[in-house]
Amino acid sequence: MANFFPKWTNWLPLKLVICAGALVTAIAGGLTYYFTPKYTRVGYEPNQPVPFSHVIHVQQLGMDCRYCHSFVEVASHSNVPTTQTCMACHTQIKADSPKLAAVRESWKTGQPVNWVRIHQVPDYTYFNHAVHVNRGVSCYSCHGAVNEMKVVYQHEPQSMSWCLDCHRAPENHLRPPSEIFNMAWKPPADTTQREIGLKFKEEWEVNPPVTCGGCHR
Amino acid sequence: MKKNLNHPAPEKNPRIWRSLRERENDPEFLKHLQTEFPRGADVYEESGLSKREFMKLMGASIALAGVGLAGCRRPESYLVPFTKGVEFAIPGKFLYYATSMPARYGAVPLIATTSDGRPTKLEGNPLHPFSNGGTDSFAQAEILNLYDPHRSKQITDKGQPSDSAALDAFVQSLQNNAGDGLAILAEPKNSPTRDRLRAALQAKFPKLLWAEYDPLAATATNEANEASFGPNIRLVPNFKLADVVVAIGSDFLNPIETGIGFAQGFAARRNPEQNGTPMNRLYAVENHFTVTGGMADHRLRCRASELGEFTRQLALTVADKTKDANLAAVAQAFPESKSSLDSQWIKECANDLASKSGRSIVIAGPLTPAPLQALVNGINSALGNIGTTLAVVKTDALDAASIEDLAAAINKGAVKTLFVLGGNPAQNAPANLDFAALLSKVSDTVHLGLFEDETAKACRWHVPAAHFLETWGDVRTFDGSYTSVQPMILPLWNGLSELELLNKLAGAPAPEGPALVRATFNQVAKGGSDEAWNTFLRDGFLPSSAFAPVKVAFNASSAAALAKQAPTANPNALELVFLQSSSVDDGRYANNSWLVETPDFVTKVTWDNAVLVSPATAKKLGIKANNFNVLGDIAEKMGNEVNYDLVADIVEISDGKKTIEAAAIVAPGHADDSLSIALGYGRKGVSALMDNVGFDAYPLRSTGSMLFLGGVSLKVTDRDYPLAQTQEHRSMEGRDLVREGTLDRYDKDKAFAQTMGMDSHIPPNISLYTHPELTSKEQWGMTVDLNTCTGCNACVVACQAENNVPVVGKDQVRKNRDMAWIRLDRYFAGDAEDPEMLSQAIMCQHCENAPCETVCPVNATVHSEDGLNLMAYNRCIGTRYCANNCPWKVRRFNYFDYNQRPIDELYWGPLAKKGMADSLKMAKNPNVTVRMRGVMEKCTFCIQRIEEAKISRLVEAGPTPASETPISSFKVACQQACPNDSLVFGDIANPKSRVSQMRKDPRGYVMFKYLNATPRVTYLARIKNPNPKMPGADQVGMANGSGHHGDAHAADHGSHGAAHDNHNAQPPHGDAHAPAAH
Repeated sequence: MANFFPKWTNWLPLKLVICAGALVTAIAGGLTYYFTPKYTRVGYEPNQPVPFSHVIHVQQLGMDCRYCHSFVEVASHSNVPTTQTCMACHTQIKADSPKLAAVRESWKTGQPVNWVRIHQVPDYTYFNHAVHVNRGVSCYSCHGAVNEMKVVYQHEPQSMSWCLDCHRAPENHLRPPSEIFNMAWKPPADTTQREIGLKFKEEWEVNPPVTCGGCHR
Repeated sequence: MKKNLNHPAPEKNPRIWRSLRERENDPEFLKHLQTEFPRGADVYEESGLSKREFMKLMGASIALAGVGLAGCRRPESYLVPFTKGVEFAIPGKFLYYATSMPARYGAVPLIATTSDGRPTKLEGNPLHPFSNGGTDSFAQAEILNLYDPHRSKQITDKGQPSDSAALDAFVQSLQNNAGDGLAILAEPKNSPTRDRLRAALQAKFPKLLWAEYDPLAATATNEANEASFGPNIRLVPNFKLADVVVAIGSDFLNPIETGIGFAQGFAARRNPEQNGTPMNRLYAVENHFTVTGGMADHRLRCRASELGEFTRQLALTVADKTKDANLAAVAQAFPESKSSLDSQWIKECANDLASKSGRSIVIAGPLTPAPLQALVNGINSALGNIGTTLAVVKTDALDAASIEDLAAAINKGAVKTLFVLGGNPAQNAPANLDFAALLSKVSDTVHLGLFEDETAKACRWHVPAAHFLETWGDVRTFDGSYTSVQPMILPLWNGLSELELLNKLAGAPAPEGPALVRATFNQVAKGGSDEAWNTFLRDGFLPSSAFAPVKVAFNASSAAALAKQAPTANPNALELVFLQSSSVDDGRYANNSWLVETPDFVTKVTWDNAVLVSPATAKKLGIKANNFNVLGDIAEKMGNEVNYDLVADIVEISDGKKTIEAAAIVAPGHADDSLSIALGYGRKGVSALMDNVGFDAYPLRSTGSMLFLGGVSLKVTDRDYPLAQTQEHRSMEGRDLVREGTLDRYDKDKAFAQTMGMDSHIPPNISLYTHPELTSKEQWGMTVDLNTCTGCNACVVACQAENNVPVVGKDQVRKNRDMAWIRLDRYFAGDAEDPEMLSQAIMCQHCENAPCETVCPVNATVHSEDGLNLMAYNRCIGTRYCANNCPWKVRRFNYFDYNQRPIDELYWGPLAKKGMADSLKMAKNPNVTVRMRGVMEKCTFCIQRIEEAKISRLVEAGPTPASETPISSFKVACQQACPNDSLVFGDIANPKSRVSQMRKDPRGYVMFKYLNATPRVTYLARIKNPNPKMPGADQVGMANGSGHHGDAHAADHGSHGAAHDNHNAQPPHGDAHAPAAH
């Protein structure tokens, strides 16, 4: 009886297994890298209706974060400034700048400026700014060096595992209360972030929730 | 040794039961109990969708999904700040304002929670002198009414869209005569500003006819009080001072009837442990079960037509005891009717009253006939209660014509222009007036209302009314406290308030909103600085503004003259009693799906009303209804194709001229030869939800029969009507879920409830599972006091409003898919004809050894360190194992996307319309996830409030040790709403907290203790205070289940084996077995 299968088929099953294995590895690897917030979110830098530069306002002029994001210490939501806040200065400074046309338009018509949202946690996640900034977590920890951003982009993945990294080890981010809004703060030379963080963690009894109910309601 | 912990076997004739089917051990019912979501499993068969077809469809939809990969791009969303900062507004933070909900008896003082400028939740105002911070279910549901997308939005003239300019022109055209032919029909309200505007209007139009009508108004009470004490006299009961209360056709413990000011004092005196004062005793005489009847120590079933005869006999006995000639005169004037009332009952009740002179209250329902109420005033006067337990105040109410006067004027042709301010008289006016036809006789009619209802259709003009949360106003609560009504939001659809319309009509150079109220405030407060005004708005009321007490004497001769007019009852005729609906009131909430889906207190019927009839009368009349094993017949008749949970016979009720149709259900504890039906349902031809829900009883209600209609005939048709009843879904299988005892028993053994039934047998138990450590400083827990829980539904609707609980529709409720996170289980105990009734609030028990957590394959339900049983919606894959394993059956599954899809298109899949009306989005609590299809949900102990409190504490602590800052006090939604303070939530780890104190109460017990789930909710057993001399006193306070007794007993003991040693060590065993159940 003739051979149904030619000789080259002898290795076929093994080749198939290897190829399939490689394919699965590639897909899994691809998904882990490309389909996580680390890749999909970090670096998101949309065009804003007004080319606002944090570099000018924070770095050069030395304005405090809370001048514009005024409720960050009391509310869950850190507000973006009202048109009124912008106009407080810009009726005097650069009052005719074409870059500020959208702001002046808003002031005239009463229609708000639609800023494009960059940092977004899902609807089922209830993040609270006030509790973080009042208990030693700087803006920097979640938003990066915004003072150096001409156009704001997402610096951190803000995924659940990223949140939990800090909730499990808050010492890596705790700062002296006076330095929360200081984007350029570095731990003093004679100590490390970890040491200083552990000290505060113990002193203030920092014990961030790691159960679902801490953020999901 | 293997321990075999059997559940108690269901008993043959359970002592305590939830439905008649359970009581009779109906085989169909037992089959029905075997499934978790009894109707859920067979959906596939029902829709004829086989697994193969399902896979085909799924494959196709996945392929289609691939086509739309463009959707993978990140959607752009926006942050939209205000252009100008708004005073006090902090994005993401709640603001609270005091306001109040006007109601027919006064008002419900409220605190409105607003989120970014929109009200999202209403809670009671605890500062108000005539409130303890509770609310009723209607106040809770007003949020939905405000945002109801079906509210009318357009001024119409003869059905055509019009505008406010045209309306103004019309109103202007009325300015020139002296009010000749001008009439106003308004709802009775206690608004001083409205009275002020009315006075101005009447000065301007001297011939103006001002009439008031509300189908459930207490006009009879006013009439009786006027005859007994003089004009404008009101009796304000203070139940705190009453040792004995007799309720005659009155549901005073139900806040929807009388407001929240009544129940609070009663609950305070209901505790068996009080300093110096005895526990109070309640007698109830009524034709159908009310929540008051359920709370009563002694309840007498009495036809509504015989309430008068009951009162007469009671009055005679009291007169005899107190030697009060005035009362005797009035009672003798009251015509006698033949009846078969239990004279022993009346005698002992009167004895009890007479022995508590000056410390008792006899209260009659607001709809009971005026002669009866005059007689009740006489009894109270003879007992020395007037001025003691019943404060007498003189109100400032203005006289108003009745709707009959208005009808007569219209028939004479004396009315040319009629303003109907609120209300819906075309639907709910007495049928003998035929008000819809009368409206067409008036040339110009203007209707101001929230909805385009029957009256809007019958009127020339319809003007959208502003909701009370959109307008300025004021109101006096029942005791007369001057209370503010503040707008929380601008009118959503340009509604006009009653005050604004009256002001327009008065032709005043329109002072707007606050100015109108401020002018009144300055009068009431006698001066009124800006500071006082601001304090008034902040607190929501003016302190010490209640009506001053006055001294009155009982006027026996005029009361006797009124008593003479009492109709006599025909003992053999069938009567039809009209009830206030627990869901739609008089029909005004017919479009409110939260309320319509909330089960009735007693029948547990949702979405419909039904005729209630006693078991004996049902048998006599041939009503073979729901409870009498009809399910089997129906399933057979329909070839097993229809999963009817409950069908009811449709009956025709006729007074000889008019006939109405309604579904009839058997109601245990109902008086014989009496029928009851809730008003406000069965509307036709009006938009949305209101249509074809339930049955309309108004056609049989006329001027002389506002409470009941005697001499009706009933015919059973051969048609059935499906009803959605939540109570039938589950059974207690003979376990001691509700526990009750008498005061006597409590005094002998305070902890009797802890050793009842199975609890006297449990061996020491350990859990085989490891559980997360409860390391947090705060440990949350709750207690539910069955002694004060009346079952009034306020908590149920409050939870719905707070937690974005969706409405599922009648069809889904019939499949047992109702979503309520807190439910009120109603139990009957004893004889089917005359049982006791208990109500028990059941929410997630947050068990420390939670059975649901161990079966979740994806860890979607886990425990927190502060003792909460958490539910992570985004992890849930919908296996429903947890619901299966929950002994309390408190977990709810989203079978459909109830929030996004219309409830009549749930089965259309992707073809159904998707999305929520914009206005309904505004009603949602922003701090609670809106759940979607396929996830399990349940009570979270209002975790959003817990987290808010914890976060506030941490924010306050800042860079200091967290433990040194105390957590601020807060209440969970159900606890906040409870008018009786029955629910107490708090930190059980703190020995000083109220909840810790309550948990230590010897009445406390946990359900299913033998399962070792260690729930965090403790129930406090109900104590009844029977009068030992009363007939049937030995049957009171015996609702203890009896899972342990009778036939089941021997088997139980056998299975426990070694457990017996432990069992003997329990406190008096005989006592645990004492109930006269055998």
